[in-house]
Amino acid sequence: MYRPRTRAFGAAAAAFALCAALAGCSQGASAAGDGKVVLRFTWWGNADRAARTEKAVAAFEKAHPNVDIRTSYSPYEAYKQKLATQAAGGDAPDIVQLDYRQISQYAGSGILLDLAEQRKALPTGQMDKSLLRTGQFEGKQYAIPMGVGTQALAYDKEAWREAGVPPPRPGWTWDDLESVLREVKREHDSPVMTDPGSMEDWFEVWLRSRGKRLYDENGQVAFSEDDLTRYWTYTSKLRKEGLVSPAEGTTQLDGSVENSPMGRKKAMAEFNWDAPSAGFESVYGDRLALAPMPAGENGTMGQYYKPSMLIGISAKSSHPREAARFIDFLLNSDKAADILTVDRGTPVNNRQRERMLPNLTGFQKAVADLQKSLEGKLKAPPTAPPRGDNALQSVFQKDYDQVAFEKASPRRMAQQFLTEARAELRP
Amino acid sequence: MPPTPTTSPAAAAAPGADGAGAAAGRPRAGGPGRRLGRSGGRPPRREPQGPAWIFLSPWVLGAAVLTLLPMAVSLYLSFTDYNLFDPPSWIGLRNYVQMFTEDPRLLRSVGNTLLYVLVAVPLQLALALAAAVALKSMRRGKDFYRSAFYAPSLLGASMSIALVWRALFNDGGTVDNFLSTFGVHTGGWVNRPGWALLTVALLTVWQFGAPMVIFLAGLQQIPGELYEAAAVDGAGRWRQFASITLPMLSPVLFFNLVLQTIQAFQVFTPAFAVSGGRGGPADSTLFYTLYLYDRGFTASHMGYASAMAWMLLLAIGIVTAVLFRTSRSWVFYANEEGH
Repeated sequence: MYRPRTRAFGAAAAAFALCAALAGCSQGASAAGDGKVVLRFTWWGNADRAARTEKAVAAFEKAHPNVDIRTSYSPYEAYKQKLATQAAGGDAPDIVQLDYRQISQYAGSGILLDLAEQRKALPTGQMDKSLLRTGQFEGKQYAIPMGVGTQALAYDKEAWREAGVPPPRPGWTWDDLESVLREVKREHDSPVMTDPGSMEDWFEVWLRSRGKRLYDENGQVAFSEDDLTRYWTYTSKLRKEGLVSPAEGTTQLDGSVENSPMGRKKAMAEFNWDAPSAGFESVYGDRLALAPMPAGENGTMGQYYKPSMLIGISAKSSHPREAARFIDFLLNSDKAADILTVDRGTPVNNRQRERMLPNLTGFQKAVADLQKSLEGKLKAPPTAPPRGDNALQSVFQKDYDQVAFEKASPRRMAQQFLTEARAELRP
Repeated sequence: MPPTPTTSPAAAAAPGADGAGAAAGRPRAGGPGRRLGRSGGRPPRREPQGPAWIFLSPWVLGAAVLTLLPMAVSLYLSFTDYNLFDPPSWIGLRNYVQMFTEDPRLLRSVGNTLLYVLVAVPLQLALALAAAVALKSMRRGKDFYRSAFYAPSLLGASMSIALVWRALFNDGGTVDNFLSTFGVHTGGWVNRPGWALLTVALLTVWQFGAPMVIFLAGLQQIPGELYEAAAVDGAGRWRQFASITLPMLSPVLFFNLVLQTIQAFQVFTPAFAVSGGRGGPADSTLFYTLYLYDRGFTASHMGYASAMAWMLLLAIGIVTAVLFRTSRSWVFYANEEGH
């Protein structure tokens, strides 16, 4: 008597189960069927970094057959957004690459594992103490720097040679930059350099070379409207003279080679971070060279050594020991160092540093040489930027767009930026 | 006593007693059962609803968990300060106040969005109507052109086509190179403040296929006698279009107008792709949705972004209501004649 009802229920239940099963298929990440430990590892970077990292991952998996590392990577902007969403949803990957600007946020919110818990699997004895401090938050080590980098001028050395201009040396000034650009332009008759006005990073170097800084100890803005107006007036002068890229080119900057004026061969030089400048190699080959950033009038250097990126473990990872072993392999082992070289900056592990640096070739040697030429000349790096800085970087670029397209004066946009910055940093 | 659902053994047994067990496989949600048992005199009984709910469950669960719940959460978040990492803290109406008082960029994004809606929607509808009228009178190749015009609508919302658009209209892109052969050097469209918005609008206009198909269906509903009568009275083609086609088509036009306006307010993907997610150059493609995304995901102000989302919902609601209000004076329903 109840049979038909049971049948209907059965059919519906089966259909439901099928749906659930189908949905289930797309999941299934954490535990592979064959009892392997599965770890997720994400980073940002270009294709070259991806190739090197995959190779290092493969070497680790070969040595640890019970571990399966699933990798993914994307450009920085996209990476930042995706990771924040994942972390907010409690689904951060086991192993994450982080920027200096993200540390206070991620460590302070309990997303990262206190690495002291995995001290045995991940020894840090050979790492530079002051650098290790950049991965600490309230006295605990949450992340470990993967490499050291500094700001630089990447340029086409042939273009410089043809114009009869000598390579820039440590201590050259912002005024020198202007006259050098003028000389190179005389020879090539096109914009020489990507407009540096849209990036907060280069403004920071300019500020520091005048003895100032972006943020104070309380994470508040430490420069004045006059400072920013002066910087944007300086870059606008360069732009109006045709020495740097026009607004149409500058506006597309997003950290990728294909959207930068220099990468598209619309300019011959660009401020960048030292190791990531390797991206221009695919366009310029061995014509690519690195020079230090300009200094202030009294020779004050604005650039500094920064942990190029850090690496940490999710507090929710179910296999923190394996994750720690993997990080140990990446940062401390000869094998990984030989594969990764200075792609993420020069090594933090002192033994690897001494072993690697003398044997580098090509552009990687240029990175090492630049850092060597600056030894003892740079001032201490700024304290970790406040949380809101992440958003302000893109506000800076948007505001400069208005200046570059001559929709507003440097002073007006400097005013607006400071208003926005104060709102963003409001405690 | 009202009929009780499913759990009553009598109700559950009924289909079986009828020998109509298979019918239980096509349940109706709610309402009294239409097919009664042998005993027609009894009050109508409900069919068992259990299976109905089980079959509906994917949809109901989807609507509840993926739409209603997030909406409720976002309404709550709109009254909080929430940075994704720390628990949200209640700040009352501060997000809403800030939107109106201290966010110049938000005002710019509203301006951009309105400009975009005012440019893209009329252009798109005009093109769709023109294409539909042309297609209707076409004798050969009608099916081919209909499909060809419709195809972009299928591709349009995707990221890939927006990236292609960017490549086409960029400095040194296909369009730039093509024009250069005629000695016109534009230097790209997507990187100029005055042109970028137009480029995005063009992408929307290009997807006129969807409203076109609806227009075409509407055109075919207009009785041919009307045109014949008009022709006998000596009305030319233009007069026929203005006096017959437009009024007869006005309900369809209204439908398309509402639909496309709502869609245009929510434009995101093309602007995101064309400007690399920043709404540049010089904020010229910073649409409301793009700025919302920027506030939420780049600046991690999820509370503020949620408040923006609810303002957008409200604004679209108001615009739609206004459209409905005006429709009384220009939308003509053929079956209203008797009133």
